Amino acid sequence: MLTAITRAFRTPDLRKKLLFTLGIIALFRLGSVLPTPGVHAENVRRCLEQAQAGDAGNIYGMVQLFSGGALLKLSVFALGIMPYITASIILQLLVVVIPRLEALKKEGQAGTSKITQYTRYLTIGLAVLQSTAFVALARSGQLFQGCSEPVLLNDDVFTVVTMVITMTAGTAVIMWLGELITDRGVGNGMSILIFTQVIAVFPSELMNIFRRNAFTFAIVMVVGIFMIAAVVFVEQAQRRIPVQYAKRMVGRRMYGGTSTYIPLKVNQAGIIPVIFASSLLYLPQLVTTLFATQTQQNVVIQWISQHLVTGDTPVYMATFFVLIIFFTYFYVSITFNPPEVADNMKKYGGFIPGIRPGRPTAEYLNYVLTRLTAPGALYLGLISMVPIVALAVAGASQNFPFGGTSILIMVGVGLDTVKQIESQLQQRNYEGFLK
Amino acid sequence: MASLAQMFRKLLQRPGSLDLTPFERVVAKAGERAEGIAALDELPTPAMDDLAEFCAIAREAADRTLGLRPYDVQLVGTLALLAGHVAEMATGEGKTLSGAMAAAGYALQGKRVHVISVNDYLARRDAEWMGPLYTALGVSVGWIGQGSTREERREAYAKNVTYGSVSEIGFDVLRDRMVTSAADQIVPEPNVALIDEADSVLVDEARVPLVLAGAADPGTSVPSMAALVRQLVRGYHYEIDEQGRNVFLTALGTDAVEETLGETLGEGVNLYDTPDKVTEVNLALHAHALLTRDIDYIVRDGRVQLINPSRGRVALLQRWPDGLQAAVEAKEALPASETGEILDSITIQGLITRYPEKCGMTGTAVAVGEQLTEFYDLQVAAIQPNKPCVRVDEPDVLYATVTDRDMALAHKIVEVHATGRPILIGTLDVAESERLALTLRGRGIDCVVLNAKNDAEEASIIAKAGERGAITVSTQMAGRGTDIRLGEDVAELGGLYVIGSGRHTSTRLDDQLRGRAGRQGDPGGSVFYVSLEDELITRFAPDERPPAADKDGVVRHRRGDHIVGHAQRVAEGANLEIHRNTWRYTRLLEHQRSLVLEHRDKILHGDSAADALAEARPERWAELLESVGEDVLREAARQIVLFHLDAGWTRHMAFLTEVREGIHLRVLGRMNPLDEFHREAVAGYQRLLAEVEESSVEAFETAPVTADGLDLAAADIKRPTATWTYMVQENPFGTALERILKRVAGKDRD
Repeated sequence: MLTAITRAFRTPDLRKKLLFTLGIIALFRLGSVLPTPGVHAENVRRCLEQAQAGDAGNIYGMVQLFSGGALLKLSVFALGIMPYITASIILQLLVVVIPRLEALKKEGQAGTSKITQYTRYLTIGLAVLQSTAFVALARSGQLFQGCSEPVLLNDDVFTVVTMVITMTAGTAVIMWLGELITDRGVGNGMSILIFTQVIAVFPSELMNIFRRNAFTFAIVMVVGIFMIAAVVFVEQAQRRIPVQYAKRMVGRRMYGGTSTYIPLKVNQAGIIPVIFASSLLYLPQLVTTLFATQTQQNVVIQWISQHLVTGDTPVYMATFFVLIIFFTYFYVSITFNPPEVADNMKKYGGFIPGIRPGRPTAEYLNYVLTRLTAPGALYLGLISMVPIVALAVAGASQNFPFGGTSILIMVGVGLDTVKQIESQLQQRNYEGFLK
Repeated sequence: MASLAQMFRKLLQRPGSLDLTPFERVVAKAGERAEGIAALDELPTPAMDDLAEFCAIAREAADRTLGLRPYDVQLVGTLALLAGHVAEMATGEGKTLSGAMAAAGYALQGKRVHVISVNDYLARRDAEWMGPLYTALGVSVGWIGQGSTREERREAYAKNVTYGSVSEIGFDVLRDRMVTSAADQIVPEPNVALIDEADSVLVDEARVPLVLAGAADPGTSVPSMAALVRQLVRGYHYEIDEQGRNVFLTALGTDAVEETLGETLGEGVNLYDTPDKVTEVNLALHAHALLTRDIDYIVRDGRVQLINPSRGRVALLQRWPDGLQAAVEAKEALPASETGEILDSITIQGLITRYPEKCGMTGTAVAVGEQLTEFYDLQVAAIQPNKPCVRVDEPDVLYATVTDRDMALAHKIVEVHATGRPILIGTLDVAESERLALTLRGRGIDCVVLNAKNDAEEASIIAKAGERGAITVSTQMAGRGTDIRLGEDVAELGGLYVIGSGRHTSTRLDDQLRGRAGRQGDPGGSVFYVSLEDELITRFAPDERPPAADKDGVVRHRRGDHIVGHAQRVAEGANLEIHRNTWRYTRLLEHQRSLVLEHRDKILHGDSAADALAEARPERWAELLESVGEDVLREAARQIVLFHLDAGWTRHMAFLTEVREGIHLRVLGRMNPLDEFHREAVAGYQRLLAEVEESSVEAFETAPVTADGLDLAAADIKRPTATWTYMVQENPFGTALERILKRVAGKDRD
């Protein structure tokens, strides 16, 4: 991997692309720490420290993770990439539901770029909504529970409007930065930006651990590196089902079957099940917060707040694990439709050696897939459990930086990007092969 | 375009260009306005000065030699071409003359120009027609056609300006890449490409790579397979997909095949354990179910000959690839002929981008402007018509059914014909043109049918299509490049009336058809008769709910037009996608090819083969050197390495075709198919180089080299025999999210 990057830096146009990407990332980080006008930066810092000492910082979990800590800093890029991701998902949903959009999509590039344009508008709309809600929260002092200092310099309408406009504009800029990376840099812009935000918190968190206890730091590092290695290993594992296309008679067919195959990954589902499971587990937290004011506590609510709110209870861990396993199976069964794949192969003259096209092929694919998903689901569950278990065992309230989600995102995006760089390198470095 | 206008102003100020009075005023005004930048005008680049002078001379030369005095807009067209743009000039504006002047302009700059046209007839006609102009300007001109011999081609390419069709020039380039002696190469270093009908060549034809195939071994036809599939029943044993492109066995069909195979291979045989048998069955089934005698091919003199579907003409040099030809021969109980093997291929992009300078002209360029920029880095320059176009384009008439449409169409023709107004009917394919002609004859009206079977003859017929009372039924490509001049008194009747029997797959092609009427400010009219059952709509907008028709069968609801437009846009999008995929997947291949060719050139023109072999096997080298002498030995070494290099490349291409066929499956493992394809291609390329070296050295050890040279009968370079195409579907499944949503919404049935 390192050799690929050093070689890439020696190839002029790839170097330019890499530097361009790095430049964009630097700009992106700058915007993530730059406070929005009207924010009392000093107070925010103090409140953040307080929140980190307690459990409160957890509330915004996933959002905070994707914004790389920018959210609670109330920075220009506070909203991060989430509005854009949400907008794309909504638009893709609408394409299926609204015939007009579906027709547009079928018209190829022209239609797709129109849909992209709608996505951008929707992103802006969502950004306005989110930033308004967020600024309102900050204004009323509810952003940091238990922190009494005002986070805004003053709370007149002008300041609030300025903040909303700034954050919305920030989101638009992020969108643009992502597209710039995709067009002129390396890798997928959105993934790279998420990747950046996920690893951005590592240095400070590691530093915190180190300051407190050097021994814990060493253990965290060892466990972290071991986990990364394990994730890299499993992410690349795949079962290749050979496929032959038998529509052409070619003279000396010596290579048949080695390069045409269906790659089934051990972790076919990727990171989605973990995100689903953790999102679902925020619900109990939300419920308890909603009912916290009631004087007469319901038995159910009590049970929930005892077992399902913090990660150190066995019930929480078990639920989390089971949810991940469930979502993995669910996701794989939805994204990989064996009859459709079998149909497509049959139509174009493809078959798996020894197996009839059509239903037998679909059944075979289903058989392999089901068995492959079991280790995949277990792996996802285990990786996600590590930080929670570590928390419980060490008894530390400190965030474990190498969270399952973080590592999965990190390795996933990292591998994809390096692969892309490698493939671009291959296309350019032909010199030396031929004398 | 500011610079072009500037050049044109210069041109007007030249003495020797006659009758510029109407423009004097305009120029004076332009001069007034331009006073502010007069300082800049003081410093014209020498080239611009020369161009203006050249235009003045060329106009004079055209007038004196051809009797054609170029209009000002034609000169602007010439300037646009000389500036390296694609000039959009309407039909009848005189593209040929503009192009010839531009070609001469490039030639006078000391560059070699290839004027690339769509067919052999136009290449020859234009070269001969414009000959006197070129001679007057001191530029030599030549042309090539399908029938040209190698010597004639060499001579034509040696001229300053060479006319030729895109496939002929492409094949010459491909053939040059396979020669075994440097003296056999005929196509000179590319300089300037001037492309006639640029949208057709650069966009429509670019979807299909030019393929050079050589006859390899005799094909293996399996008559028993043909007999076997003949007994199968459609819908029961096998099925054909909606587009009629693919055929596949059902479970019952597989049972039937396995039963028959069991007689020879033993009971309980599994067809899918024997890939070769599957291929044989598939090919036999394809030949049986998808290809029809006298529609797709004819049998003449005991040979199977292909019919080109878009032109309805027997394609002499075409054969089906990869065993299909043999399967068809088996079906017709003919002996198997030689089977083709792809030796080399080149995309239109690959061919055109070889030229450091390129420009083009067509009647419809603006619509594909983005594509021209994306794929060729060309800009479009829209040239004003000499006289404004007064053609009346009526709105489409939309019918619910084909039957209603055909009746209304025939009725309309009868009605217009009664007034004596000439009519040109554009049909979508050969079969439809024949059907329409039959209907008209049934009504006692005579018409001429053109379906691009004979370019030369048709050009002369279509030139007369503007005469009083003429009815001409034509397919899309028929008579391209020929003007339809109006006969006497026809202008009073309203000029030529163009009727399209259905929309084409792009608005551009519709506009080409409309453009046949209204040349040079002539009156004219056009209308399209469309039906909701047209293939365009059933294929590209099958899910749209059409509005109900009125009692007379006409659909007047707004949604009707919307559906037609939508179908057309889907078709355009799909074609663009095919074009882009062809390009993306062949770019790497062409890069690899250019590296191999560089290497090949070194072998061809130098002694690198001999040096490499001498180094690898010094004893054998010394031994042979003693017996046959150095010159013979060097030549033998060259032939050995060239043969193995070419064979290796052929194998590599077959390998990549194989990889590409199944590369879309990688999407299922969340991989990018294009990247994956590149990965395989690069690995394959490295294997290729190792193999070539190994097999060359091996051959050098054993090949019999005598004083007469090397005896390498197998190294014959075969004449190209076929062109064909294949398409790539990159991701038929959609992204993960799309798949989820499709299932959730219950739309995954289709």
